[in-house]
Amino acid sequence: MSSVKEITISKQTVPIFAVVILALIFAFGLFLVGYDQGHLFSVVIGEQAYEDLYLHELGHDMRHAAGFPCH
Amino acid sequence: MRQLLFIGIVLVSGFSAGVILGLINFVTTEPFLDRAIELENKANFESGEEKDTPQFRAEYNDYRYWQKSGMVLAGGIFGLGVGSLFGIVFGLSRDVLPGKHHVQKALVLSGLMWFTIFMMPFFKYPANPPTVGEPETVVLRAVLYLSFIAISGFGAVGFYQLYKRLEKNRKFVAFVGYVAFISIAFVLMPSNPDKITAPMDLVNGFRIMSAFSVSLFWFANAIILGSLWQRFQPDARIKFEKH
Repeated sequence: MSSVKEITISKQTVPIFAVVILALIFAFGLFLVGYDQGHLFSVVIGEQAYEDLYLHELGHDMRHAAGFPCH
Repeated sequence: MRQLLFIGIVLVSGFSAGVILGLINFVTTEPFLDRAIELENKANFESGEEKDTPQFRAEYNDYRYWQKSGMVLAGGIFGLGVGSLFGIVFGLSRDVLPGKHHVQKALVLSGLMWFTIFMMPFFKYPANPPTVGEPETVVLRAVLYLSFIAISGFGAVGFYQLYKRLEKNRKFVAFVGYVAFISIAFVLMPSNPDKITAPMDLVNGFRIMSAFSVSLFWFANAIILGSLWQRFQPDARIKFEKH
């Protein structure tokens, strides 16, 4: 009588595609929370974004709380 | 490796831990932020730059409401960012991390990354509440802070590579090497250029709460990622053998 045994093998490699995607998210997240002074919205609404600072103000309290420089 | 599952686990872990950080901040850092911004207002009233009128208060309340309402969302985005870095390093190093359970492995890595890319930079450039920091120096301060994170992080990776190549006293050499390296960087890197004029009880209280909250983020991220990894095993190849 035969039996079937399940073997779980851990594979070492991390796909380069996944690393690139996560690295981009890392850079984007860090920039948005840690630095943005209107730069991201300026792509859409132009120079006014540097006056309005919507994203900057939205991330303001977290920026201070997470230890990033502000003002 | 099932890469979409891997990415999903990393992002869910980071975002969840970031949301937890945002919620915790309402209790820990937010009271200090309110107090610091009120000090800024007071200074503006005294200098004549602003007047404490009902109109000012209405605008101020709207402005603070927008800033506070972003805490949880910004926490989630912060979590996605930092969690992504953690996920990459965990994916690359999981087989050499100590521990049988993935939560153990994640906690070990989280402790190392917390110390090297959060606590060490925090000791050199601690968090500051509003009222501390000149607008003219924000780029310089950001460059200094991110540089120190990079120096400490890459330094730790470098000494880990040395650890792998040595045969004798490798733990001691790698640890002492990193401590010496980061100590030199600590002394050589310029200090924060801005003077602190705010009350020190406010500044120190804020710093303690900031360090505490971000430390909880690292802990929560490790627990969530380790648990999800253990449950879904994105790197497992299941093979059936017939006997």
